Amino acid sequence: MSAPLLRLDTVSRAYGARRAVDEVSLDLHPGARHALIGPNGAGKSTLLHLIAGTLRPTSGRIHYAGYDIHRWPAHRRARAGIVRTWQHPALARPLTVAQNVLLAVPGQHLAALRLPPRASAAALDALDQVGLAEHAQWPTSQLSYGDQRRLEVAVALAAQPRLLLLDEPSAGLATTEVTRLAELIRALPTDIAVLLVDHNLDFVTAVADTVTVLHHGQHLTTGTPSDVRTHPEVRRVYLAEADPAKHVPTTPGATDPPAAAPPVLRVRNLRAGHHGAPVLTGVTIDVQAGRVSAVVGRNGAGKTTLINTIAGLHPALSGTEILLHDRLVTGLSARRRCRAGIGLVPQGRRLFVGLTVAEHLALPRPHPGRPRTVTARQILDLFPALGERRHHRPHQLSGGEQQMLALARALLAGPQVLLLDEPSEGLAPAIVGQLAAIITGLAATGSAVLLAEQNLALALDIAHDVAVLDRGTIALHAPAADLRADPARLHDVLAVPTESPR
Amino acid sequence: MAVALPWMVNAYVVSLAATALVMAVLAMSAQLLVGLSGQPPLGQAAYLVVGAYTAATLATLTSLGPIHLLAATAAGAVAAAVTGLVAVRVRATTFLMVTFGVGELVHAAAGQWAPGGSEGTHIPPVVALPGLTPMVRPGWVYLYVLACTLITGAAVIVLTRTRFALLLRGIAAHEPRVQAAGHHTSRLLLAAYTLAGAIAGAAGALLVTVTRYVSPADAAMGVSALALAAALIGSGSMIGACAAAILLVAARDWAGGLLSGHGSTLLGLSFLALAYLPRHRLAGLFSRRDRGRT
Repeated sequence: MSAPLLRLDTVSRAYGARRAVDEVSLDLHPGARHALIGPNGAGKSTLLHLIAGTLRPTSGRIHYAGYDIHRWPAHRRARAGIVRTWQHPALARPLTVAQNVLLAVPGQHLAALRLPPRASAAALDALDQVGLAEHAQWPTSQLSYGDQRRLEVAVALAAQPRLLLLDEPSAGLATTEVTRLAELIRALPTDIAVLLVDHNLDFVTAVADTVTVLHHGQHLTTGTPSDVRTHPEVRRVYLAEADPAKHVPTTPGATDPPAAAPPVLRVRNLRAGHHGAPVLTGVTIDVQAGRVSAVVGRNGAGKTTLINTIAGLHPALSGTEILLHDRLVTGLSARRRCRAGIGLVPQGRRLFVGLTVAEHLALPRPHPGRPRTVTARQILDLFPALGERRHHRPHQLSGGEQQMLALARALLAGPQVLLLDEPSEGLAPAIVGQLAAIITGLAATGSAVLLAEQNLALALDIAHDVAVLDRGTIALHAPAADLRADPARLHDVLAVPTESPR
Repeated sequence: MAVALPWMVNAYVVSLAATALVMAVLAMSAQLLVGLSGQPPLGQAAYLVVGAYTAATLATLTSLGPIHLLAATAAGAVAAAVTGLVAVRVRATTFLMVTFGVGELVHAAAGQWAPGGSEGTHIPPVVALPGLTPMVRPGWVYLYVLACTLITGAAVIVLTRTRFALLLRGIAAHEPRVQAAGHHTSRLLLAAYTLAGAIAGAAGALLVTVTRYVSPADAAMGVSALALAAALIGSGSMIGACAAAILLVAARDWAGGLLSGHGSTLLGLSFLALAYLPRHRLAGLFSRRDRGRT
């Protein structure tokens, strides 16, 4: 076989005493479709950073196309054809969608006043490949989260990569979009090597020929997707707990409070938009104590807008009524709503960059006069992993630990209703299982939970009732048990492509 | 109207207007860094003074204004290219501090070694084009400065339409992204810093044309701060930066003169008013109306 395009030779990266990547060796040939999987904190993203040049290895060598590149700066590696995407969209928000892609299109003169037709064609082509061509002139900040993820991929494709590094490309995408992305990656020219990190195993199986499993920074095994799935060690550290049967709460119906219990949060005729374009045109939903209500829907359906509007971070349009325990909170600021008992775990976690875990947990204070109080100690009992990381800052935490911290921070304020925006995004199956158990546990102790989730399986697992958001309104609202029994109903509503209600 | 100004108001206001144009050019220099690249400079007056002393030194050889202008532009660029090596290693607030430090060093160096020392140096009136008489009347000086400002402004606006400017905006928004596209971002920033120094140098030549005098006081931090403030008020736009510079000079020198020397009070108040009133307040009004309408 030909010489490998990329060869990692016992590459390590240490953060203080912790070895995020520990003597990993890996070969990638031109045309490879190689996936990296592993529990959160296994060092997958760090490994991508080491290859892309945003981090330097503490030891080991990286060979690329015959050169030892481990000292090359990031821009030099990019020029050599190593192109990467970020785990969370890292786009130039003030620029338009097309401009973001054009930043990456190579072969343009710095002093060029007019856009070369070749470059604009390349940019449009890249946008077309991910299905964003019609949004080319939009400001990037107006794209939905999933569309921003797709734009990330378009930017990477436009850079004409020889080695494409994708950091969780399927996170935040709906099922149909994940299928499209898998087809897109498979259809890339065979001289491009792809190395991707992802938690969606179906996606990994569909895309990758070879899978490498990392665990605690160490190489566990490499093989075909089916080899890896049956590997006993992999099953133990990564997959076994992901088996849905293990974490599904006992029949949700058994823990149901009487259906007649008055709802904690009542949303009536919620309307909201972005820059005058309506996104939500009358959403009505109730959240009861002790129950998990899930909102599912395609990307851009308005899930995040709904959550943010309830939390007071996004302006509601006239006619909207949001009631918390019969108290109208529509006119209140986000701060007052938080005091009144609305807790939010935002999408992408939104942790404070410079603060340690302990400092995060010291910040929230339940409002005096709130019946439920929670102490940091109780929270750390819920999330034992955080206790060991008390003096770490968010960038030193794995994705799963970050999500736990965001959840802990919201819980410390003693909320009466908890809004969760895509909590499972970017989490390993085993961690998703833990998260599901925690959310179910919270509901069992009397919290009301509203969950916006792209991960249908998780939503169906832990929710008592499921609402489908489509074209700005609730298209279907049914008990989760009914939908589990008859999944086709849900797929009919979700899978049919509809006009985007923007 | 800008062209007809010399025939409409008295000589004092005309020379003030010329000074305002010089500040507008300096504000464009600051805007190139803060508005485009996202790095706030607090030392642009240093390159203004480098340009001004270059023009003043040349004035002993020739009184031809355009030559002064070109030489000052080149000197500003060279000075910025050298000092920029230090500045572009850092970002954001640290960039602000480093450029402030460079500005203060140039200020001190001008007092120590520049011709005339802390007293400054005078130059004879400048000739706009070969064969013309030296410009003594403020009206002619103003028209010459206006023409030079328009030419510089046109060049800057062309610059903001290039791919280079798009990359600078990319750096302001998310620098690793631009690196991942294969660009040496510090080198791009150094190029931007050099261009900004060139523009500030040009402003320096125009300054000595207007005042016929240059002293280390022209490198004072207040001048750099005014340029940066004008750029920030202009919120990313070159025209906005120029308008803000003219307004700020008007507030400091003209309205301040009417209020018997409370120029800096007025300047401080206008900073606050401009920061709070137009954009935030008006934006709030508009968005509220939007909400009601839909």
